[in-house]
Amino acid sequence: MVEQTKNDKKQEPGPASPPAIVEVRHLTKRFGKKVVLDDISLFIAKGRTTVVIGPSGCGKTVLIKHMLVLLRPSEGEVHFEDRRIDDLSEAELSRVRTRFGYLFQEGALFDSMTVAENISFPIRQHYKVKDWRAIEDVVKSKLAMVGLDGFQNSYPANLSGGQRKRVALARAIALNPEVILYDEPTTGLDPIRSDIINELVLKLERELGVTSVVVTHDMKSAYKVGDRIIMLHNGKVIADGDADYIRNHPHPIVQQFINGQVSEDDLAVLRMAGAASAAQFLPRDFDS
Amino acid sequence: MIATLGAKAVQDVVNAGHFGRFAWRSVLTSMRSCTARRTYPLVWTQMNQIGVRSVPVIMITGAFVGMTLAVQAYDQLAGMGLEEHLGVLINISVVKELGPVLAAVMLAGRIGGALTAELGTMNVTEQIDAVRSMGTDPIRYLVAPRFLACLLLTPVLIIYADLLGVVGGALVSFLQLGINSRAYWGFSAYGVDLWDVAIGVVKGFFFGGAIAVISCYKGFTCEEGAQGVGRACTEAFVASFISILALDFALAVVSKNVYEVFWPLKSLVG
Repeated sequence: MVEQTKNDKKQEPGPASPPAIVEVRHLTKRFGKKVVLDDISLFIAKGRTTVVIGPSGCGKTVLIKHMLVLLRPSEGEVHFEDRRIDDLSEAELSRVRTRFGYLFQEGALFDSMTVAENISFPIRQHYKVKDWRAIEDVVKSKLAMVGLDGFQNSYPANLSGGQRKRVALARAIALNPEVILYDEPTTGLDPIRSDIINELVLKLERELGVTSVVVTHDMKSAYKVGDRIIMLHNGKVIADGDADYIRNHPHPIVQQFINGQVSEDDLAVLRMAGAASAAQFLPRDFDS
Repeated sequence: MIATLGAKAVQDVVNAGHFGRFAWRSVLTSMRSCTARRTYPLVWTQMNQIGVRSVPVIMITGAFVGMTLAVQAYDQLAGMGLEEHLGVLINISVVKELGPVLAAVMLAGRIGGALTAELGTMNVTEQIDAVRSMGTDPIRYLVAPRFLACLLLTPVLIIYADLLGVVGGALVSFLQLGINSRAYWGFSAYGVDLWDVAIGVVKGFFFGGAIAVISCYKGFTCEEGAQGVGRACTEAFVASFISILALDFALAVVSKNVYEVFWPLKSLVG
């Protein structure tokens, strides 16, 4: 486990060591024989933004799904505010989950509902709504926060990818959660929209004291929002620290990832594939 | 070879366990939802999808069952000079067996496929995980309304199928086969008890429950991609179809024994 550190781009100095709000202990996850997470232990500091980076398929999404117990560990434990939660029943977990917000990679909006119905869904599920005007106001304010006020009656199918992601974010913050888990929030967005999402993450942390865990490939985003960056590789944590620590990390895989460089081994495979392509069949080869 | 067979057997037992747990949770949650008012609008919506929109196809199925029975059975009965008993044969077959079973099979195709496709798509696009992530039980929100709608409306739809089966059989018998209507209805009334109609309708509760649980389970556990959803729909229909036939057999045995024990007591009470 590594100490909490501040990103050099962040301004406010925090307390030396904020308490952990989420903690995973010796977490191992297997799908069949494949080990996706291998004995991972880490904690998420309250009120801070932790970024999880790593190559595709390294287990980032699986890790944050365990924090909300959408997946159960093969081994190990998950704790929320010092209480073990991975062994709770689904009914018991309901109350814990209302304190989380989860932004899914593809948004996971309910396509049979309008934008307003999507955002009000968690409120309608957990509160007896008597004043529908108040719900409309909440929906309006959440949509305004993500810059989409006026889209209340649209259906997800009629929105662009970026708009869907922002509506999903509005839904994730509908219950004013204490922890928000972002699964690749900027993937598929143009640079400006990506930066809007980054600013939103910062705003939620700054103004509401929300704890954020952001899974991303986008190093620009990671450096901007992360108080702490964790890198996963082959199911293990190989680097854990602030932006400067990660930039100067000696591990070659960390350097390769943050600089977006292809390895010599991968290059060799590509060169071989290039040589092989000359021998591929063309349509004229099938003409007798 | 033996290891493969063993692994497959173990996997099948595990899957059966998962299904059993899912079915048990679905039934329990649905029973609890009966008293939760917030579930009612969801149940109404599903009743419209499952029940109201299935009425035409169920009525057509019932009508053709009755009409076909009339045409097929006439020659055999006429050969023995018993053509006026045709009504008994048609009506008892329709209300006790063919109406309920064929209506349920039609529902398994129409509703089961739609339920599996809808929930399967929600599963692969992480919408079911989204429901869970917001602290809502997907069994309560997604399965219970569908289960209740199927459970309550399948018997009603079977009554529609029975009705049209009886009418269809009668029309063919009178208009095409020239059977005397008075004799037709007289023998029918004598040969078909209220018990026969009731047992057909009661089967509807079991068939409806089985279709809903199997279809929802297949949707919840379907594999990624369009192919996964398609395969889940096929498996849901096949499993529902076999369950309907197996339940029909089991209920026939049970109802026969119950009939033999209790129905004679009716004359004592009456």
